[in-house]
Amino acid sequence: MRAENYESISHPPSNEFELNFGPNHPGIEGNYAFRVKVNGDQVLEAKADAGYLHRGFEKLMEGRLWIQNLALVPRICVPDPVPMEVCYSQAVEDLCGLQAPERAQWLRVMQLEMSRIAAHLFAFGGHAATTGMYTPSFWGVADRDLMLDRFEELTGGRVYSIYNIPGGVRRDVPDGFLDRLASLLDYLESRLADYDNLFFRNQVFIRRARDIGVLTQAKALKWGVTGPNLRATGLAFDVRRDDPYLVYDQIEFDVVTEEGGDCLARNLVRRGELQQSIRILRQVTARLPDIEGPVRAPIPNPLAWNVPAGETYTRVESSKGELAYYVVSTGGDKPYRVHVRGPSSMHAVQVLEKLAIGARLEDIAQIMFSLDACPPEVDR
Amino acid sequence: MNSEIEPRLDKLLAGMDDVRVKLIRPRRIRIDVPSESLPTLLELLQGKASYVHLSAISCVDWIDNGEFELVYHVWSYESQSLVSAHTRIPRDPGVYLSIYDLYQPAAFFERDIHEMYGVFFEGSPDMEKFILTEWDGPPPMRKEFNSEEFVNQNFTWEEYRPEWLEEIEAEGGGIVKPASHARR
Repeated sequence: MRAENYESISHPPSNEFELNFGPNHPGIEGNYAFRVKVNGDQVLEAKADAGYLHRGFEKLMEGRLWIQNLALVPRICVPDPVPMEVCYSQAVEDLCGLQAPERAQWLRVMQLEMSRIAAHLFAFGGHAATTGMYTPSFWGVADRDLMLDRFEELTGGRVYSIYNIPGGVRRDVPDGFLDRLASLLDYLESRLADYDNLFFRNQVFIRRARDIGVLTQAKALKWGVTGPNLRATGLAFDVRRDDPYLVYDQIEFDVVTEEGGDCLARNLVRRGELQQSIRILRQVTARLPDIEGPVRAPIPNPLAWNVPAGETYTRVESSKGELAYYVVSTGGDKPYRVHVRGPSSMHAVQVLEKLAIGARLEDIAQIMFSLDACPPEVDR
Repeated sequence: MNSEIEPRLDKLLAGMDDVRVKLIRPRRIRIDVPSESLPTLLELLQGKASYVHLSAISCVDWIDNGEFELVYHVWSYESQSLVSAHTRIPRDPGVYLSIYDLYQPAAFFERDIHEMYGVFFEGSPDMEKFILTEWDGPPPMRKEFNSEEFVNQNFTWEEYRPEWLEEIEAEGGGIVKPASHARR
């Protein structure tokens, strides 16, 4: 019900009530809940409530071998698992003084960008559904599936590929893979016009998303916002460009920004990034055949691998923002401490709580999906 | 530009005798600082050196030394470098100051560390339970907490014998348990 249609009946002292939004709710991403206090349909107070999928990843990792953790880390973010593997592998390489061979670095970039495309298709598909438009979400999931086919061909796994290992990647690309990837990129690019007509330039969406969940640049910086959500406020910061890892410094791409800082701007940034990821992947498919060499550096027996003592902080740009791993080793065969800094630990808690205040109940789902929050990054 | 960061930070922190600045690799700086000087250090880094983004606060339990190590990772969008400020506090009583006034994202990390390690941050806006709402045991990320021991004490193991497993075992296969992992 809209606020202007609401006629209060006599139920003093107020017409405020509390509502549990989730943990089972189509407007919530993953197993997560939001407790809101509303007056009519306007949100007065909001409190994030996590812990519904707590598996204790960080504790589990302390009890497993360095190599075993590779099967665990991608599960921290289902829609975009690859940055987790890469970030963890980089941390272990850092501690061991290992360097992934050049070809492996290009393969990692390829896999990261494939994952980013898949995650963005999922993200704006999900966002569309929160505004009552279901076709873009079906299209998004269907097109993401084509990318998952390529993942399956490359790694054997559709969602969790576990393709990276410290020192490089598990194997090289299969014959003809790059051609099939290139034709998929052509197809996805041709689809953008359809997505524009259906979603990004659709007035139903634009009027629904504009000026909702507005985040100014000053607030974004103060609240620790990163990734597409930060770029939607006009700040061109991208870990790939400003704190480069792998071979991103040899690749041309633009850091997409928007000015609005609202739900609309955040989606448009993701749309732009989808195009940029296609551009990056084209460079990878063009360069990869000329780069020869192994796809992984020699590593010790992984079942008896004592990683030298030390600590490191590695960062990558995931589809949701800044992802970082703080890893401490005491020279044993298991990590002493792994701390995962997921971008959603900011977006899904403090930022969402603050943006929800004053919003209408029907927009909470939209705000959450526009922030592209991933609850397991909170419940590590 | 990066090679200049270390001398610049040395100059900025010249008045603080008890900090040690070390360039680990390009764009990564480690600073070791005693716990009483950390808030001053962060204030200087934020106010005078543009380290405005708190990337994370990590806690490490050094149980053998009776200490918690707190690591504050701050990033500067201007000089494009990351400072990790390391400090140590005694494990007992495990109380420290909140830096929420300087960095708002600290609220999440401090609440998380409080819940998982039992470190209380004075001045933090919310120290309520967040993830482990129905948990009344010890803070589980502490090294003395052993998950497997806890499970063995509080739950009973059930035999898992589906039909398909029996079929496989009849053919000589099945779940292989290394001796070191045998539970009973």
